[in-house]
Amino acid sequence: MTLQRLVRVKGRSLATLALVAVATVFATGTVASAAPAKLPKSGIETPPSATLTETGSTLLYPLWNIWAPAYQQKYHQINLTTGGTGSGTGIADAASGTVNIGSSDAYLSPSVKQATPSLLNIPLAISYQVIAYNIPGVHANLNLNGGILAAIYSGSITNWNSPTIAHLNPRVKLPSLPIVALHRSDGSGDTFIFTQYLSDQVSSWAKGPGFGTTISFPTISNALGENGNGGMVSGCQATPGCIAYVGVSFLTQALGDGLGYAALGNGVGQYVLPSPTSAAIEAAGFTKATPANGTISMINGKIKGGYPIINYEYAIVNQHQSSIGFARAVRSLLEWAVNANYGNSNTYLSQVRFVPLPAPVVAQSLKQILTIK
Amino acid sequence: MDQVKRTTPSDHSYPSTRRRRMTAVIFRGATLLALALVVAPALWLVIGVVARAVPHWQWNVVTTLSQGTSGGLENAIVGTLVLMAGVAVIAGSIGVLTGVRLAELSRLRSGAWARGAIDILAGFPSIVLGYVGYVALCVGLHWGFSLLAALLILSLMVVPYIAKSTESALRQVPTSYREGAEALGMPEGYALRRVVIRSALPGIVTGLLIALSVAGGETAPLLYTAGATNNLPTFSLLHQPVAYLTYYVWTDYNQPSDVAHYVSNDAALILVVLVLTMLVVARVIVARTQRHAEGTR
Amino acid sequence: MWPTRRDPSVRRVGQRRRREDLAWRWGARVASWIPIGGLSFVLIILVIKAWPAIVVNGADFLTKSQWLPGNTYGGVVHTHGVAHPMGSSYGAWPLIAGTLETSLIAVVIALPIALGTAFALTELMPAWLARPLSFFVEILAGLPSVVIGLWGVLEIGPFLAHHVYPLVANHVPNVGPFRYLKGPVGYGEGLLTSSLVLGLMIVPIIASTTRDLFMQVPALPKEGAVALGFTEAEVARRITIPWVRSGIVGATVLGLGRALGETMAVAMISGSVLGKVSPTLYGTMTTIAATIVSQLDSAATDGTGFAISSLAEAGLILAVIALAVNLVARAIVSRTGRLAAPVGRG
Repeated sequence: MTLQRLVRVKGRSLATLALVAVATVFATGTVASAAPAKLPKSGIETPPSATLTETGSTLLYPLWNIWAPAYQQKYHQINLTTGGTGSGTGIADAASGTVNIGSSDAYLSPSVKQATPSLLNIPLAISYQVIAYNIPGVHANLNLNGGILAAIYSGSITNWNSPTIAHLNPRVKLPSLPIVALHRSDGSGDTFIFTQYLSDQVSSWAKGPGFGTTISFPTISNALGENGNGGMVSGCQATPGCIAYVGVSFLTQALGDGLGYAALGNGVGQYVLPSPTSAAIEAAGFTKATPANGTISMINGKIKGGYPIINYEYAIVNQHQSSIGFARAVRSLLEWAVNANYGNSNTYLSQVRFVPLPAPVVAQSLKQILTIK
Repeated sequence: MDQVKRTTPSDHSYPSTRRRRMTAVIFRGATLLALALVVAPALWLVIGVVARAVPHWQWNVVTTLSQGTSGGLENAIVGTLVLMAGVAVIAGSIGVLTGVRLAELSRLRSGAWARGAIDILAGFPSIVLGYVGYVALCVGLHWGFSLLAALLILSLMVVPYIAKSTESALRQVPTSYREGAEALGMPEGYALRRVVIRSALPGIVTGLLIALSVAGGETAPLLYTAGATNNLPTFSLLHQPVAYLTYYVWTDYNQPSDVAHYVSNDAALILVVLVLTMLVVARVIVARTQRHAEGTR
Repeated sequence: MWPTRRDPSVRRVGQRRRREDLAWRWGARVASWIPIGGLSFVLIILVIKAWPAIVVNGADFLTKSQWLPGNTYGGVVHTHGVAHPMGSSYGAWPLIAGTLETSLIAVVIALPIALGTAFALTELMPAWLARPLSFFVEILAGLPSVVIGLWGVLEIGPFLAHHVYPLVANHVPNVGPFRYLKGPVGYGEGLLTSSLVLGLMIVPIIASTTRDLFMQVPALPKEGAVALGFTEAEVARRITIPWVRSGIVGATVLGLGRALGETMAVAMISGSVLGKVSPTLYGTMTTIAATIVSQLDSAATDGTGFAISSLAEAGLILAVIALAVNLVARAIVSRTGRLAAPVGRG
């Protein structure tokens, strides 16, 4: 950290432009301690004229691109710039104050939180993950669980005709076909929740590769790294025998490409197909446990009928915006986004197959939003 | 052919005529095969770019803004042009002046330093420049994804091309021009501007065009400095990301929707047309001046 | 009537022109320091950023094969006073190996093809055909690497995997280095495809330089050799190529430098698998440059900054390799003084 600061100080003397930028960030950092803003009756504050920048998660990017025109139609004075650059840069840019909103598929890690305590992770919507596969001739939904997936990704199950898979799927005739395990080559929230599911269900996986946005998958001969969810789906389509984990907003395309998807073993041992309903059941089960700051994994819950890999999609926002105007504009945008009548209505969310937030979580998100200054 | 053999009858290590003929034929075949191995994939590549884009091409791509994985490319086209213009100004002035220094004024030892730095930069991995741009400028200095960060990194990358081509263009100006200018009593700077640079201009412009075509086709140094946006570039140097064509090629090619593939393919086609136009113009300038030079000789 | 030096208007003009002298002088001097400053800035930042990783990763970084960011959500531990996530462990050996493998194979493939192309263009083709063809080869050098990568992943990769690699894998003998051509051929993304595409990217650099060099070879010795009954092949081997050998070596090393730093095409075609050296030529892998571009985003989620730092260390290694190659090239090429044709590098 000290070295980073050193670089920053050195750079500051190099460019006066930057000095101004840094000064504004630092100066406005002091306005923090005022009382939280109040929500008007409409539920959404009227923003001042401002240009807002959002960047980050490629999974949320399509939703932002649906939200942005709708919001700007209601509030012409806002110009919202969206960018799909990845969760990491979204978080880093929100922390450094260079964008107003970063978006991320994973909540903030304690070390990031420690480096920038004023950073909030605000749940915006619920996404879930689909395990897709390409087995020519098999269109049924296979039953799979953490144990089998862990065995596939660590190379102990290498063929679709494995008796372990057959045992769970007595009605499906599985061909002899080598399994190609796809994983994300870029760091990703999808890898995070997928490996968390494996860790929750398989204790040896938890000890071994563990979970994270980038992990070292066991070295197996039939591994293939793919860039982005898009790469996972198109890579899987091109590779008979593949298995891949993909964000649900890509399910439509995956099905269009002839991929099948699995029913997953959940925390109470049922095999559940991914759907808005089963994801909503799982989300409802986690609602009570969701803390005020939104930081929670919703994986493998002991919830009947719930689909076991779901997650909140987060807006990463610095509590201290660079001006009151920016703060009001960001609050307005996020209030609109979590409002069940506007951004969180199925009109928008169903286009990317996301699930609306449960009402108590919306209330918590709003509380967080109102602390933005 | 037989003559050679007759003059060296005692040299048993020398291959027979028939073998030499065979070698000659094989050699000829091999060189033509080599040429084919370059030209065929290159043709496949270029035709592929056109063939993927043309069936779904719609002219309104040029006039509508992007929606990420769908929509048009107006923002990216304008953004790429803005980036190229910025590089032309920043890298152009630095590069040309550096070239002047190297060719005309480098009696000082620091000329060697400049030359060394330029040679090293010319072979420096562009992603490493992009990394430094991200950690030092975008994050370290809180510039965010911004036009200025992207311009500085791109400029640093292409300055060597401009400086080198300026230098070699200046060196090709005949000494007699300089001597003539001096004999007329022209001060050094005036002579440089009115005589030397003027006659080296085609070479300088060619180098600039090549550098701009490189800048326009870059992806790696821009991904983490220019960021991404669906809007047109704004006039602010800091905090506002800039769209560019290569981003859409890279981001949308493996999105699993046909529309995204169209965006990627369209961006690739526009990019190739843009880059090739600049290279062709550069080539035409070279050909013109060569013909001109030969004519006056 | 010419104005004389004593004429005040002439003096004013003279002053203005002397000021122009100074402006050029200082402008050029200041400008020529900017690349030096920029390069120093880049290197300093790189070293500062890499330093914590160098301290923690130690010499093992060059030999280990893991790329584990650790549990970014778990505890933070300190090694030698540097904070990093628990379980983080970085080794760049597969990246270094991948970078060197792809680049060297690319050069081995590209060099003979480039020489053959240059020879065909200068000696065999009639001018009306040679001119457009050499322009076409030069243009290839200017194509953006992301476009070449697109072709690699969409067209040539699958083509090779379906039609060429199976033939090769089934028919090469299982001896010596050919063993690396045995085994499952994969799906078109991997070491060999990356190397071939890189080769295609650097052929123009070598070919266009070599072509220019061939044209500079004086006609007299070649004509003399032909008069003595030399065949084309013998002229090339004994006269033309030795005449320009150092230039060819220089251009080749420049091409190697470009292959080492190439990012986007490799990121698209390599298969992007961290943490292992590919056992066969068909296997998936990655390089330093491709890793930086695909990992930098998630590295930003490591709040200790250690992931970013480790990427800087990898970048530093790449920079050192590229620098070494460049210095060698510079020492060899300084005599020819020709700027190699640019190639999209990322």
